[in-house]
Amino acid sequence: MNIITIILLACITFSSRYLFLEPMLPLKIGPKIKSLLSFSAPAVLTAIWFPIVFIRDNSLTSSLTDPYLAAAAVAVIASYKTRSIYFTLGISLCVFALLQVFKSALMF
Amino acid sequence: MSLTKKNAYLKAAQKGCLDMLPLSLSVIPWGILCGSLAIARGFTELEAFLMVLLVFAGSVQLVVIELMSSGTPLTTVLFSAFIISSRHFLYGLVLRDKIKNLPCKYRIGIGFLLTDELFALSAHNKALNGKRRLVYALSAGASFYVCWITWNVIGIIAGNYMPDLTSLGLDFAIAVTFISLVIPSITNLPMLVTALTAGFLSVTFKLLHFQLDLVFASVLAMTAGFFTSELLKRSKALKVRGEIKALEETQ
Repeated sequence: MNIITIILLACITFSSRYLFLEPMLPLKIGPKIKSLLSFSAPAVLTAIWFPIVFIRDNSLTSSLTDPYLAAAAVAVIASYKTRSIYFTLGISLCVFALLQVFKSALMF
Repeated sequence: MSLTKKNAYLKAAQKGCLDMLPLSLSVIPWGILCGSLAIARGFTELEAFLMVLLVFAGSVQLVVIELMSSGTPLTTVLFSAFIISSRHFLYGLVLRDKIKNLPCKYRIGIGFLLTDELFALSAHNKALNGKRRLVYALSAGASFYVCWITWNVIGIIAGNYMPDLTSLGLDFAIAVTFISLVIPSITNLPMLVTALTAGFLSVTFKLLHFQLDLVFASVLAMTAGFFTSELLKRSKALKVRGEIKALEETQ
């Protein structure tokens, strides 16, 4: 039973990804829609990472020293200055880890 | 195929895997969680393995595992999966003109591998143009698929013995990889408006427990970016027209 459900789920995830790649689908994308779609990447990617950084336990992060918030700020600056994924990852993860350790040390 | 061509494709494939690596690594906690959660919720190893192999979608996997184990009706499970997957329609729409006329194997391949992560690497203008860039995207997507399965299998094997790594704050790694992909793409005002709108709305919608939070926040943010760029174009056109008029008057 579970296996049938899993196969149905696979059909859903695959068709959601594939549908608009199918040439038989009668759909032409006009220049206005094309221009609209050119904003999709910053829109979707930001919509994914903002909640991770700003929401903690179903409510807005209240403290400015929250590790997520502070390390994300470091990441934004590092990425803006260097444009390097690896440098940004390295420095912000270090800041994040230090703040996490610092926070849990304060709790004890 | 000539040797130089073969070499070029091999290089493209290597670069694809390498560019995907930070993204593949940042989902380790989520992958392990998906695998171990399935076991903890009473799925067999085979079912848990088929889930990652065929469904291949982190957020869908996490949600449906919880739903299925609590005896939720099938239609509800499928509908939830559909809602969570709906952002992928947007990715297909963006890539449609580049992909739709390609041979079937490329379409199916890119279609199957089109995760948030692959889209993040393929959303720029030049992406997927020509065979070399296709090889790049396919190997990036495939390397992510292999890694995702690997992290899941580790979770399946570890099962209940695995602590929840996401509670250690390791989900922060995903946020940082996305930050480092978005920030360099913000080069003008419309892009900035898009990102800020998306961020503000996604947080608001999530706090309101709005089901289609991601899709609505994205589409509204895209619209905001689009209108900003249209306004900029119009004001520029007006300015040029004004200058022409001023020139005509002086002559």
